[in-house]
Amino acid sequence: MKQSMMINGKEHKIDVDGDMPLLWFLRDRLEFTGTKFGCGSGLCGACTVHVNGQAVRSCVTSVSNLVDKEITTIEGLSEHGDHPLQKAWLNNNVPQCGYCQAGQIMNAASLLAVNASPSEDEIDTAMQGNICRCGTYQRIKKAIVEAADTLSKEV
Amino acid sequence: MSISTLSRRNFLKTAGVATGGLVLSVALPGNALAEKGIMKDANTTLNAFIHLDDNGDTTIYCGRCEMGQGISTALPSAVADEMEADWQRVTVKQADGDEKFGPQATGGSASIRVMFQPMREAGATAKAMLIAAAAKVWKTSAENCYAEKHFVFNKINQQKLGYGELASIAANMPIPEKPILKKKKDFNYIGTDLPRHDQGEVVVGKRVYGVDTKVPGLKYAAIIHCPVLGGSLKSVDKADALNMKGVSNVVVIPRFDIPFGSIGGVAVVADNSWTAQQAVKKLKIEWNLGDNASYDTQAYKKQLVANVEKPATLAAERGNIESAFNAAKHKVSATYTGGHLSHAPMEPNASVVWVQKNSCEVWASTQSPADIQKVLGQYLKREPKDIVVHVAMAGGAFGRKFKCDYVHEAAVISQETGAPIQLIWSREEDMRTGYYHSINAQHIEASMDENGKVTGWLHRAAFPSIGTLFNPSLVRSSAQTLGDITNHLFGIENFRAESGDAKAHTRIGWYRAVYAIFYGFAFSTFADELAHKAKKDSLTFVTQLFDNNKNKDQQEQVQRAKKLLATVAKKSAWHQRAKLPKGQGIGLAVHYSFQSFVAMAVHVEVNGDDIKVLHVDCAIDCGQILNTDGATAQMEGAVVMGMSLALSTEITFREGAVVNSNFHNYPVMRISDMPNVRVHITDSDESPTGLGEPGVAPFAPALSNAVFAASGKRYRDLPFKPMAV
Ligand code: FES
Ligand code: FES
Repeated sequence: MKQSMMINGKEHKIDVDGDMPLLWFLRDRLEFTGTKFGCGSGLCGACTVHVNGQAVRSCVTSVSNLVDKEITTIEGLSEHGDHPLQKAWLNNNVPQCGYCQAGQIMNAASLLAVNASPSEDEIDTAMQGNICRCGTYQRIKKAIVEAADTLSKEV
Repeated sequence: MSISTLSRRNFLKTAGVATGGLVLSVALPGNALAEKGIMKDANTTLNAFIHLDDNGDTTIYCGRCEMGQGISTALPSAVADEMEADWQRVTVKQADGDEKFGPQATGGSASIRVMFQPMREAGATAKAMLIAAAAKVWKTSAENCYAEKHFVFNKINQQKLGYGELASIAANMPIPEKPILKKKKDFNYIGTDLPRHDQGEVVVGKRVYGVDTKVPGLKYAAIIHCPVLGGSLKSVDKADALNMKGVSNVVVIPRFDIPFGSIGGVAVVADNSWTAQQAVKKLKIEWNLGDNASYDTQAYKKQLVANVEKPATLAAERGNIESAFNAAKHKVSATYTGGHLSHAPMEPNASVVWVQKNSCEVWASTQSPADIQKVLGQYLKREPKDIVVHVAMAGGAFGRKFKCDYVHEAAVISQETGAPIQLIWSREEDMRTGYYHSINAQHIEASMDENGKVTGWLHRAAFPSIGTLFNPSLVRSSAQTLGDITNHLFGIENFRAESGDAKAHTRIGWYRAVYAIFYGFAFSTFADELAHKAKKDSLTFVTQLFDNNKNKDQQEQVQRAKKLLATVAKKSAWHQRAKLPKGQGIGLAVHYSFQSFVAMAVHVEVNGDDIKVLHVDCAIDCGQILNTDGATAQMEGAVVMGMSLALSTEITFREGAVVNSNFHNYPVMRISDMPNVRVHITDSDESPTGLGEPGVAPFAPALSNAVFAASGKRYRDLPFKPMAV
């Protein structure tokens, strides 16, 4: 029997070489292209997804390590694209080319999951691994603060 | 959709209507563009397309390439505004590569400059025809009707008709000779902060980039390039690569020696990208490295400095610089340098190409579909128009994706294998096989009289120019390339520009802001150095330099530049800078490039070698503003890119090859470096100009000036703090 992992709530058989990084399993095998390739070496954050709720660089995480794990990609972050971060991203018109933004949002979501109201320094530290070459950092910070606000009001 | 040939006098025609809707092909006589100096060929027509379905759904095509600069919102919103369309009913589509869309090559911050007027006219024409259609239905005159938010209203009886209902009638209405454009006060979208049309897709991961293209039967390729320009393959042992499970082919790609052709390399084809990338590493390759194998940027930069610190080839002259220098009270000189830069967009070069016997189809992140058609046409010996290019959203480009070497390579592989090929460059290949921003040196000598007035200015520059791409034998930059030095807005009576020798040993390309990066750096930094020498306040000193400009043709520009400088001085509390805590300082710079003006005041805190940028006040004047939020975003981005190149990014060559490989040794700015950026927009009635590039130029000099103010340390070399690689 083949091993499998859960991706965005659905079971997927791992029918590729176990060394294949999750990024390429998602992009080339399953054709979930929302998760992006930027550096392939864990240096840019473009490929960030959640594994059991935690931000992980999918370009350096082999599928063999993900048996029975729960993966969330940008496509599965919320059912209707209405996660507070997604809303705050729209509200602040954050993306320029947008290529890094799936990784930014997934990374920020995992930050807010453990720290509901991060300080500016905590945001910097958590988001330091996510490069935006277009330079949207100012808006990213603003959007994270705004989403944190929304979340705190929800509780 | 086929478009009938347009006569020169004909502004607009309706074309084949497939579904009973309205398809407008809007054409401007090519000579209107020729007059503006935009197009050389007066016979080329320019088209924009509006498709209106009979249910009211409206599609507006964007002919220019989108790479994050927001053009696919800005231009279509101008169409919608003039058309009185409801933006909620509009879908924006990226146009395929086709000359019917006019010039699509997207660079030089030109899209808005070139396309704003034609796009407005496209919208206005559609509106006029819709109104005419309604007037016909109501049996009244067009004067009795007006359009608003996707409806035409009857002023007499308050009836209304939706655009969808009117579409097919409108399609048969005569085309207005000269559509009437709206007044500025009546704009709905132009000049507002209308959000980007595609953000909703981005935040859920549904925006499709070039790298995301999937077609049935797709095969995946990875590539390694010859590390040295002009080198070639000596031998390749393919066995280990071919033995890998999932690998189907190894394809040798010879150098295609035309400007945007492949530098030469070896590619592996597999059933997924990862396998292809792994297999490339298993190739055993030997290269003939050729003539550039000794290229070493450290030594080369020293040579450039030597070449500008001695007399060089005259490029331009005014007045008599010798007598000015002889009569000088003060003489000041300085030398500035900068390194190669890699664009490093977050999406590496990627495309899908499928070459078949009778067709060739391309899906690519690109800034110039016509160049793809040209290069692939030349390679495949087919007509450019037979190469179908689907322009994909680019995940950043910054000038790199103007060149289509990566698309050409995918075409070679597809032709060889018969399969549709997705070639994605690894980050390492992207960084090592670029079209780099020019390495450069500039030397300036200036004379001042006893009042601190600048009387003479000698400016020598040496850098391998982009011209070397097209003519590799060029020894130095031309007088024309040095034109932005010669025509700088500072008023200098006795002036000389000289061009120092600088042969190219790698491919040089356009990088966001291009030569303005180092011209702006030298001019605004040196002016600050002169002010210091003259014991004057830098703002007053630079203002005077502008005031000294007596050239009638430049007066308007001088005033605009001065005004922006005053704006950022005010916004940054420049006049109260004496009250700043120790270790803090403010630096100013203003630069005119790509027909737009940008000034910056950079506020820093310096602690030993540590430079922290706290605030940036940025003032822009690009004439009439199309989208305030888009303009603001471009400036925020320009600050970040300016900061990367000012502080840390540099491409280093040793033994002919690039040493940098990925973001660990090409350290671009990260979130903790982000200062607080405030953008101050001057809206005017001048015709609009672009903003993609002009914001980059003033940052580095303003930073150098700020650090000097804060610490007394002067940085003259970009980047200030290069990483040892
Ligand atoms: S692609 Fe994974 S961190 Fe850059
Ligand atoms: S938005 Fe382009 S890289 Fe972040």
